[in-house]
Amino acid sequence: MSETAQEKWGMVIDLDRCNGCQACVTACSLENNVGFVGEESAAYGRGMHWIRIQRYWEGEYPNITARFRPVMCQQCGHAPCEPVCPVFATYHSEAEQINVQVYNRCIGTRYCANNCPYVARTFNWFDWEWPEPLNEQLNPDVTVRRRGIMEKCTFCIQRIRKGEEDAEAEGREVADGEIQPACAQACPADAIVFGNLADPESRVSRLARSARAEKLLEELGTETKVIYLKGGSSRDR
Amino acid sequence: MTAKLSAFPKEHPHEHEEDPREHLMLDPRPREEMNSMVLESMQDTPVSYWVTVGVLGLLVGVALFGAWGYMISKGMGVAGIRRPVYWGVFIANFVFWIGISHAGTFVSAILRVFKAEFRRPFTRAAELMTTFGLAAAGLYPLIHLGRTWRFYWMIPYPNQRWLWPNFHSPLMWDMLAITTYLLSSTIYLYLPLIPDMAMARDRSTGWRKKLYRVLALGWRGTEAEFHHLHTAINIFAFAIIPVMFSVHTIVAWDFAVAMTPGWHSTIFGPYFVVGAILSGVSAVTMVLALIRGTMKNMKYFIRPEHFDALGKLVLIFSMAWGYFFFNDFNLEWYGGEAVGHAVMDYHLHGPLSWIWYGMLVANIIIPWATLWNKKIRRNPWAMFTIGFIINLGMYAERFMIVTFVLSRGRMPFDWGWYKPSLVELSISLGSIALFLFLYAVMSRLIPLIPVWEVQEGQLAHTLRRIGKAEIPTVSELE
Amino acid sequence: MSQQISRREFLKLLGAGAVTTAALSGCASATRLVKREPYTSMPEYTLPGTSTYYATTCRECPAGCGLVVRTVEGRAIKVEGNPAHPVSQGHTCARGQASVQTLYNPDRLQNAVRQAQRGSGKFDPMPWDEAIQVVQDALANNDPDSIAFLLGLESDHLADLVNEITAAMGARAPYRFGALGMLDARNTLVMANVLLFGHPGLPVFDIAHAEVTFSFGANFTETWLSPVFYTGAYGNMRKGTPGQRGYLVQFEPRMSQTGANADEWYPIKPGTEALVAQALGALVAEEIGIPTEGLFADVDVAAAARESGVSEEDLHRLAMMFAQSQRRVAIPGAGALGHTNGLDAAKAIMGLNILVENLGKSGGVSLMPESALGNTQMPSTLNDLTSLVEKMNSGKIKVLFIHGCNPVFELPAASGFADALQNVPLVVAFSSFPDETALQADFILPDHTGLEAWGYQKVSTASDRITLSSLQPVVVPVQDTRATADVLLAAVQAIGGDLAKQVPYENEVAFIKAKLEVLVGEDGYYAASDANTLWARWLQVGGWWDSDALLIAPDLTHAVEVLQKQPSALPAAAFSGDEAEYPLHLLVYPSPNLGDGRGANNPWLQETPDPMTTVMWNSWIEISPDLALELGVCDDDIVRVTSPAGSVEAVVYVYPAIRPDTVAIPVGQGHTALGRYARNRGCNPLQLLDIQKDASGNLAFAATRVKIEPTGRKHQLARMEDRVGVYGDRYGELYR
Repeated sequence: MSETAQEKWGMVIDLDRCNGCQACVTACSLENNVGFVGEESAAYGRGMHWIRIQRYWEGEYPNITARFRPVMCQQCGHAPCEPVCPVFATYHSEAEQINVQVYNRCIGTRYCANNCPYVARTFNWFDWEWPEPLNEQLNPDVTVRRRGIMEKCTFCIQRIRKGEEDAEAEGREVADGEIQPACAQACPADAIVFGNLADPESRVSRLARSARAEKLLEELGTETKVIYLKGGSSRDR
Repeated sequence: MTAKLSAFPKEHPHEHEEDPREHLMLDPRPREEMNSMVLESMQDTPVSYWVTVGVLGLLVGVALFGAWGYMISKGMGVAGIRRPVYWGVFIANFVFWIGISHAGTFVSAILRVFKAEFRRPFTRAAELMTTFGLAAAGLYPLIHLGRTWRFYWMIPYPNQRWLWPNFHSPLMWDMLAITTYLLSSTIYLYLPLIPDMAMARDRSTGWRKKLYRVLALGWRGTEAEFHHLHTAINIFAFAIIPVMFSVHTIVAWDFAVAMTPGWHSTIFGPYFVVGAILSGVSAVTMVLALIRGTMKNMKYFIRPEHFDALGKLVLIFSMAWGYFFFNDFNLEWYGGEAVGHAVMDYHLHGPLSWIWYGMLVANIIIPWATLWNKKIRRNPWAMFTIGFIINLGMYAERFMIVTFVLSRGRMPFDWGWYKPSLVELSISLGSIALFLFLYAVMSRLIPLIPVWEVQEGQLAHTLRRIGKAEIPTVSELE
Repeated sequence: MSQQISRREFLKLLGAGAVTTAALSGCASATRLVKREPYTSMPEYTLPGTSTYYATTCRECPAGCGLVVRTVEGRAIKVEGNPAHPVSQGHTCARGQASVQTLYNPDRLQNAVRQAQRGSGKFDPMPWDEAIQVVQDALANNDPDSIAFLLGLESDHLADLVNEITAAMGARAPYRFGALGMLDARNTLVMANVLLFGHPGLPVFDIAHAEVTFSFGANFTETWLSPVFYTGAYGNMRKGTPGQRGYLVQFEPRMSQTGANADEWYPIKPGTEALVAQALGALVAEEIGIPTEGLFADVDVAAAARESGVSEEDLHRLAMMFAQSQRRVAIPGAGALGHTNGLDAAKAIMGLNILVENLGKSGGVSLMPESALGNTQMPSTLNDLTSLVEKMNSGKIKVLFIHGCNPVFELPAASGFADALQNVPLVVAFSSFPDETALQADFILPDHTGLEAWGYQKVSTASDRITLSSLQPVVVPVQDTRATADVLLAAVQAIGGDLAKQVPYENEVAFIKAKLEVLVGEDGYYAASDANTLWARWLQVGGWWDSDALLIAPDLTHAVEVLQKQPSALPAAAFSGDEAEYPLHLLVYPSPNLGDGRGANNPWLQETPDPMTTVMWNSWIEISPDLALELGVCDDDIVRVTSPAGSVEAVVYVYPAIRPDTVAIPVGQGHTALGRYARNRGCNPLQLLDIQKDASGNLAFAATRVKIEPTGRKHQLARMEDRVGVYGDRYGELYR
């Protein structure tokens, strides 16, 4: 809850490149040991997806088109989820300038999820199962969450830490593009760009200065770290 | 005697002129007789009583703790909550029971402070509601935790990791407010109980005598003791009123400080307090009707005049609630924010809009249509029914504030609907059973009527014959 | 932890570097088994907590994307794209991401099995030497003419090996089949390429640099040919060239995900794609002032507009746009080619490219040169498969080996394949999963899954240069499976004689190395002067490809001649099913997540929402709101869909972007086998398709008509979207 939002890690999503293919969704889930819940639970809004692609329709048949927008935790600088957690399970990481969720500290009040205007948080309603040998695929760098715990996108913090540690061990700065969350890495259209917003020369900073840049629900003053570049319209040429 | 106390004293020539002896304060009986009437009501345990207590106990064990245990072992998923409705019936129940707990304090402390004499026979019944309402309410923050077994992390205790709870979180304020309120209301319940415990101690045998001896704290009834007691009660009566206001304000802030559209409202604090008092006072009328109808000798103590007075209170608070409701609704409507309108639209036109309209009927139309009528106000079972309907309405209000609002967020793609599960209904039923169970058990352990306060009041009231008229007079006690 | 395993230590060393590898590379073989030690004594180069990365190739579809798989302590953790690979360019699709769940799938076959009674699902485990004996006997004791191989679409080392074996035996070359090829109408496109350019391969469309792209039903960001390659191209089309935003126009009766991203979307009547292309071609020719002969002469634009539903005004505007643009390309997609007039549609659409002479140019159409490992073999046409079915029925086929495809599920039921299988005395399946076809086999000799396998793949669908993609095991095989190539080679060696002399490879790896020898000294992304260095670099880099983009330009003059000889009057698309009885066009399309259905037992693919409907864990039938009102059905209603060929039940999704005379069902669900996540879920619309062919002998999969009847039952589809939030009460009663 810093008074002046600082910049560090950020993400730019170019909606003109994004075509809604869902590769980021699957990539995120497999990187972060996100549980799969089955048809019944998924039908009742209990899917655990950390990132979901909102698809809205525009217009009426035959002049209809669909718009896609991948939405994950926006890593707010002024995050509504942070002050309401009674046990500091969700807090602001000063080093990364993102919202961190401490799974082991979470007691499951779900207040943070109610207060998140982006509906970015998912809750472990049950213990999800990975029948043997499916569990062999679990990423050892990411905690497997048990029931009763809130979780959300972390900007793949395990990759951020790994990249920073590698760079430190080699006595250098982290190179631009060296650290990539799973979604950005997978994106076949190269719509998701991740990097250091504090570095004005980084690719993400340059894209963030685009005239097309917008933030989701900017009017709420949440100072998000995810910047969308507006897509083109089918009606203009 | 009984005939005279019937709800509609038909033999009276002029309806507008009551017999002054209808008032408990002007209808004194010998002290010893009153004491034994109260003791008799406590020791009267017919089979029906044991059956009731047994059934309630079973419900508490199975419906409440059984279902809760099942939920703990399986996960929160057995409840009907989902994305984006992360809170459901549990939080609605929590707010509801906190509301019920306002009855005791309001009826007892505020009426005591304002020296409303009609309060005397039922202050304790109301205070018990506070304590047991809080007991039921206090369970819900635990029940709704995803990891109940880690609830103690909310308690600020020193630990080697220097991890403290987050005092920015309204849930922490909740916890502190509820524990404060529970502690102070229990003390406030206990203080006026001391002389009655001494009375019971002197008139009982066996385990009861042992119990009451401990609880009576060696009370002898000296003037000095009464002086200290009055001072203590006065202090607590004054002190508990702000606690009561703060508790429900803080419960309201659980919602109001969130940025969720439909919750983020400056009026929520007083709106919740008024709603709590409305449902609490209505619940008091229900409990009084039950006590009067089921326990021995209670028709003497609890009279139509009390229902009459409470009915007026209910009417006033129904109007106050309507005022706040209209405020909240009106400003949202004129606000014109799209998401606010989506929330409102879900209330007015959604598939569950009957709950919203039902709430308005229960909380406004029914009390306003009935409670202006003295006959209805003086009829205990009519008041019971109205109190029940109002509490249904108030529950509906809480249910909608929690779940309707969460169903309609800022991202229409992620809207959702909510269906309470069997486990949630079972736990809700179980908590009602818990309240009634505790109440039923306590009704046979302590006098539900603060006899000494009634006697004190009767001492202060006299009927004087002046000419042909009998004029009630009151002397100042303090 | 004491399973017999092979090659793992070897792999670790391979990953470590060229020198070490070069010294050890001779040792690799499937027969060289080592004990897997518990991880308390780690294999060399495996540090606890340290990741090891292996380059390999994705096998979830035939596109041949290069992968880099992160492994930790001998377990495959995460699939990432190979940044150096020309096809995937460092990225992956959802299916590729989930391939670890194929590897570790709990329903995989754990060893070779014998199924005493076909279809019973009762498997008796058998040792591998017995399994090899079965193959050996089958090959040795049967007339070569009575032995048939049915392989998947991938042009991989196994296809090459089987080709060598069948050639040596004198048997017919393997049949090749895959639902993705069928539903992409690949053969039709190849046939058009052969007719126009004399090139027996798929064309490559440079969408990335095109200013204007006309896509005729090509769902190139979903499953068409090479989705990762073309999705990358799509991104670059939009924002890859500074100051240019490519413009995409899509013609298709049902809005695909690709169509949803188009700037203009035209829901044309199914089967009129050729007419639209012809009309556009005529108008384009007029605009750029070239004489029209043959195909584009005397085109009645007004009639085309009337037939297709695209207004004349729009046709003129689009033609103008196409003609005036610098870089423009027209793509003949599956939706256009899957009709009885599919070949004509392909020619007409390719004709647009020929008219504007974009062949071999940036933003145009090019062809992939032949690789050093020989040309890629194209899939069998439906004609070929029908003749196989006939041979099976007449008892001419005694032995059928099936690998890499699931024809019982993927071929239309009307093809009669499943019944014909009963007339084959010996069916051997090499499937890793107990899928529908494997369940009809006598023996299942499970192959490794992609991440455990050796191999190479000749990229044949799309790349910007010659691309050979390598496969290497990233983990030791999880189950007691064996590479099919090894099984076949072991059988061949055991048979001995001439056959063994002509197919002299000791094992799979030896075969691959022998094939790769032609690359020694070749100049590409890297150059290796000797076989061992090549092998090390091959595995490390993930294959072999040219250092620069290099495609060949098709011959324009020949193509122009062909078009000029083509008569202008095209046959109209024919449909199976009387219009009065079956009033609706049925469009089947491969599910973007599940592909041809092999992803259906992959729990995270099931849970990944469909891009357009956001539905998870099920399939659905897309019905326009108008049609739904007319039929009196609403969302989540179960309806019975009947065609002249069959009938299935499907759940309704009221889809706002589909023609009212068309319904669409995704392919991929409706499995009766394959595993716990796939079984009894949704419907398989391929059961509805009647056998209709186009001029190239391919299935016209969009040529079946259906009718719909409500059943009165409901099933709630698992959607990510909120129905009310997204659709509101736009369609009133449709969202009860």
